[in-house]
Amino acid sequence: MSELEASLSTRPGGPEPRRLSEPAASRPNAPAIRADKLTKRYGERNVVDGVSFAIARGGIFGFLGPNGSGKSTTIKMLCGLVMPTSGAAQIDGLDVVRDSSEVRRRIGYMAQGFAMYTDLTVDENMEFYARAYELPRERRAERKASVGELTGIKEFLQTRAGVLSGGWQRRLALACALLHDPPIVFLDEPTAGIDPVARRELWDLLFRLAEAGKTFFVTTHYMDEAERCSDVAYIFDGKLIAYGSGDELRHLPDVEQPGAQRYAVDAHEIMATFSALRALPYVKDATIFGREVHVIVDSSVTPQQIARDLHGLAAPEGIKRIEPTLEDVFVALTREYEK
Amino acid sequence: MRALFDLHGLDAVFYKEIRHVARDPATLVLAIAMPLMQLLLFGYAINLKVENIRSAYYSEDRGRLAEQVIDGLKASRGFDIVSVAPSREALMQEIVSGKVHVGFDFPQDFSADVLRGKPSSMQVLIDGSDSAIAQSAYGSAAEIGTALSQRLRSVTGIPALVDVRPRMLFNPTLRSANFLVPGLIGLVMQNITVMLTALSIVGERERGTLDQILVTPVGTTALMLGKIVPYAIVGFLDFLLVLGAMHWVFGVPIAGNLLLLLMLGAGFLLTVLGLGLLISTVARSQMQAMLLAAFILLPSVLLSGMLFERELMPPVMQLVSYTLPLTYFLEILRGIIVRGASLTDLWVPATATVVFGVVVLGLASIRFARTTS
Repeated sequence: MSELEASLSTRPGGPEPRRLSEPAASRPNAPAIRADKLTKRYGERNVVDGVSFAIARGGIFGFLGPNGSGKSTTIKMLCGLVMPTSGAAQIDGLDVVRDSSEVRRRIGYMAQGFAMYTDLTVDENMEFYARAYELPRERRAERKASVGELTGIKEFLQTRAGVLSGGWQRRLALACALLHDPPIVFLDEPTAGIDPVARRELWDLLFRLAEAGKTFFVTTHYMDEAERCSDVAYIFDGKLIAYGSGDELRHLPDVEQPGAQRYAVDAHEIMATFSALRALPYVKDATIFGREVHVIVDSSVTPQQIARDLHGLAAPEGIKRIEPTLEDVFVALTREYEK
Repeated sequence: MRALFDLHGLDAVFYKEIRHVARDPATLVLAIAMPLMQLLLFGYAINLKVENIRSAYYSEDRGRLAEQVIDGLKASRGFDIVSVAPSREALMQEIVSGKVHVGFDFPQDFSADVLRGKPSSMQVLIDGSDSAIAQSAYGSAAEIGTALSQRLRSVTGIPALVDVRPRMLFNPTLRSANFLVPGLIGLVMQNITVMLTALSIVGERERGTLDQILVTPVGTTALMLGKIVPYAIVGFLDFLLVLGAMHWVFGVPIAGNLLLLLMLGAGFLLTVLGLGLLISTVARSQMQAMLLAAFILLPSVLLSGMLFERELMPPVMQLVSYTLPLTYFLEILRGIIVRGASLTDLWVPATATVVFGVVVLGLASIRFARTTS
């Protein structure tokens, strides 16, 4: 059991904490993950086009983007599953192409969907990955117990993976990705298709692990999950169009336009309000969010004036100044990019 | 960059594959039993003695013996006399047109010769275009001749008076049953091994588990061996099983050296495992893998010489047949089993089989390593 998991484990005592020996090539000051103009071309199309970022150790990095925007290809290049056409990437300061065998021992990877063996039991799946990572016999038992405890999957050791619920299947996949105690873990759409409770529990688990020092690189298209990440990047059409902390992104000039103000308008007749707002000369942008319309207006405009111009569609108390959500940010950035 | 030869994590892959098999013994039983079943089905379908073969006769006989023979034919289960031809040409025409498969031709002096104590002969024209029918007709015709001669001998005391002369039409080099069953062995071995190997690897790719393995330190060579060795064992068990079935069920003895046969069979297995592996590097889905396997297997059935004589094929098809591994393995099977040939007799197909094995498996391994690195 590693130190960080020992501190997380609910079980007191246990075996003496042991550290994995640090290989000579490790560079503790290098960013956990660095991409430098990473590009992948398939045929005529750059699926990933000159993507660069540097991710510090610890924390959860959210990698967002619509389907087909290059999220999975990027993650696969970082994990050494896809060869970059050009550009480079380093994990822990090690080149993902040149030092791939060393990189593989330092990363955990949870593939999209459920990529465990459904005909094998939970324990057999973990045993396979423990052996695949060439853990010595004693350490295999120790690590299986540790990740089983951490993810809670130890309750189902003799269950066939195929009959687990979606949430438990993800926990098994996460357990297998953590078996060799990697400092950096890549999760490709870890919460797609599982129920909201299981989703929240999985995120709580990720937070605890990140707190203890692991770095997570997570792709998702759930915006609420993006809000929970320590840093986010947004990829669109193969290009990285935003990257930083949530607050940094909210205050980008394209998002927070100078001389403009963001309001949420609470409306009863949402479509009528939406149309009326778009017709107003000082409204720069309007988007529907549930029972609200988010608008960007000139900063000289007051809620009272908006309410007056809506002719009773919304009350002045129902118009509140708001901070942009990350969804607002991505909508604004995508529009800006498409221009 | 992943090394092309890397045995890391071999025990992990073996561990997993053994568990897969243990979890699903039905598939294993099926994999081993299927070739046996195919052999039995094909073998019986092809070797079943055909009865009531549609036949016609033409008789110039001025005596009554021909009539007696025909009555005997009508009573037998072997032939079904459906028409009487007015002339020798008409008899031939009935066979050419496919109305009948066998024509009996009795000469003018058929009865007279026998009565005078002279050996007499009748001709049996056999349509060779359907080997199963032709084979049965050949056998039944010979039996009739023998029976007739015996009956006449008991009366006249002179042996072998009636000479039944079967004449094979259209396909003079008719093969015996012993020729078909050995041929089937190669085919059933090929079918099951190519299919299982390809499906197993493509299945992992389709489910995403392959990527999940490839991020671990498991080496490509280890992964490949882990995938191939179980099917090599299954393939070899199948080989032994169908050889046994050939011997005990179809009564075909192995005339030559069994050890040599087993060794060359192992060589052929390398080729088919390699083919399966090669398909797995190209196919993106299990469906594609199945279609690709069928694409490779069908020419083997038609062109390897298993069903049809290669010498009778157009030159282009003959050339194609030389590119099929099964062609050479068939020569080995038939050579050793039927003719008792030695390695010296079979050095050409034996060399080809080994070369195919090494080249195909070698290429497949390199491609597999490339696609996974």
